[in-house]
Amino acid sequence: MSDEPARIEAFGDAAVLVTLGGTPDTGPHRRARALAGAVEARRAGGVRVGRAVAAQTGVLVPFDPLELDPRDARALVADLLAAIEEGAEAGAEHPAADPVRLHEIPVRYGGEDGPDLEATADLLGLTPRELVEVHAGSTYEVLFLGFAPGFGYLGPLPEALEAPRLETPRPRVAAGSVAIAGRQTAVYPFALPGGWRLIGRTDTQVWDVRLDPPALFAPGDRVRFTPIE
Amino acid sequence: MIEVVEGGLLTTVQDAGRPDWTHLGVPIGGACDRWSLAVANMLVGNEPGAAAVEMTIAGPVLALRSRMVVGLAGADLDCVVAPRGRRLEPGRSHRLEPGWTISFPGSSGPTDGDPPGARAYLAVPGGFDVPPVLGSRSTALAGAFGGLEGRFLRAGDLLGPADPASPAIGPRVWPALDGDPFRVDPVSPIRVLRGPADGIEALLAGSWRVAAESDRVGLRLEGATLDGTPNAIPGDGGGGAGEGRMASHGVVFGAVQVPADGRPIVLLADHQTTGGYPVPAVVASVDRPRLGQLRPGSRVSFVEIGEAEAVAALAAQRAALERGAALLREAAGWDALWESAGG
Repeated sequence: MSDEPARIEAFGDAAVLVTLGGTPDTGPHRRARALAGAVEARRAGGVRVGRAVAAQTGVLVPFDPLELDPRDARALVADLLAAIEEGAEAGAEHPAADPVRLHEIPVRYGGEDGPDLEATADLLGLTPRELVEVHAGSTYEVLFLGFAPGFGYLGPLPEALEAPRLETPRPRVAAGSVAIAGRQTAVYPFALPGGWRLIGRTDTQVWDVRLDPPALFAPGDRVRFTPIE
Repeated sequence: MIEVVEGGLLTTVQDAGRPDWTHLGVPIGGACDRWSLAVANMLVGNEPGAAAVEMTIAGPVLALRSRMVVGLAGADLDCVVAPRGRRLEPGRSHRLEPGWTISFPGSSGPTDGDPPGARAYLAVPGGFDVPPVLGSRSTALAGAFGGLEGRFLRAGDLLGPADPASPAIGPRVWPALDGDPFRVDPVSPIRVLRGPADGIEALLAGSWRVAAESDRVGLRLEGATLDGTPNAIPGDGGGGAGEGRMASHGVVFGAVQVPADGRPIVLLADHQTTGGYPVPAVVASVDRPRLGQLRPGSRVSFVEIGEAEAVAALAAQRAALERGAALLREAAGWDALWESAGG
């Protein structure tokens, strides 16, 4: 159960926004994902809604108000959410439809590949080696994708590595950069401007538009980073 | 074929976008003014969302390598044909001959009043023949895919219609219709619905101007109050749109985000899929095409409407588009009859 009740409201005339209560640690992103999945199943069944966007604290469900009355859209989302919350309350586990996928990402930590490693370790009162050990010692969940095609928000990052984003973002972060900020870590899918702390780099491509699916990570996948010696 | 002689300021191939990949962080993209995209396409007998060239403020110079009928819609960027020197007006189709060059230098329009629209659309029969990527021919500048190699058009590029052997289409003129989003006073307020965050009052009370840093991702607004004091909406300093702040929920074309500096950003077609700034208002779907025609310097104000009014206005706009399409089909029918009669 969440700490606060979910809020379902209009987001303009062509979308419903669901905001789920709870903290990042209690997993609103998982309920968000379950709700997006339920919306997607309805869509596959012919209900005229758009692709739901699940993110950290909520789900956005777009629709065409000339095909689906906004009030009906909100009622539909409320019904789907109620079914999910009931299931969670009854202790029902997420249906084991797909086995959880685990991605191993080899990383060259530090040096040119991770220009912020030393300064960030200093800031956190760790040695660079310790920072790497903690980062590579956890398994992360793909919370959701956003910011750019294929950019996965992975978490939760151990508290010991929680550091603010850089004061001045870089105009260009190299593709494959492995970075941390707040309680999250990520791999840059291609060169982008960015403000996270760069601690390493991988040759694993997390985005290739020629592939199906084009993104390596899907919400709910698990990710582990392994240092390249 | 059409050869690009000069690329212009920001010229890309755009269609109705790719709405089915937002769960992987892929922006929907597509034309910033879907109404004008539809008009340009319908003028050459296409589906409303076919791939067209979107040009911005100062458009390209294009050389015709073959005979072609083109549909032109959206902002009047002073399109002129060389060597004839004839002006090509938007809202019409035009037959172009090989060897001709058309240029879109940008409107020299009124200098005292508000600047003219920002974007013009050029359509060809069957749409432009670029490969679909993730179900769309739109150029995704973030990620560099779709359109022509995922980038702006530049000198030397070649673009052709998917349907080069289309029957000769007679000249078409888009009819003047009630419900057309551009048959309103350009300074009439943009209609918004109340968003999930506080602060709509400051947005409605303010008079705004589109700032120079605006692009296909969003319009940045700056205060333009009569007494010259900068106006802004109190931001909460919370999460933001960047990858480093908590992108907490999905957003839409037309969402008005207020970052910590209080200067609103109105999201356009290439907006990120998620955002974390407070959203005190969302532009009504019916006024999205008008957003796509605002350019740096344009004055903007907002007025709140309710959901029922917003949906009714959208229905009237959609009906106008369908009525226009029906009138064009009727004209096409008369042409065919005329030709079959040996006219």
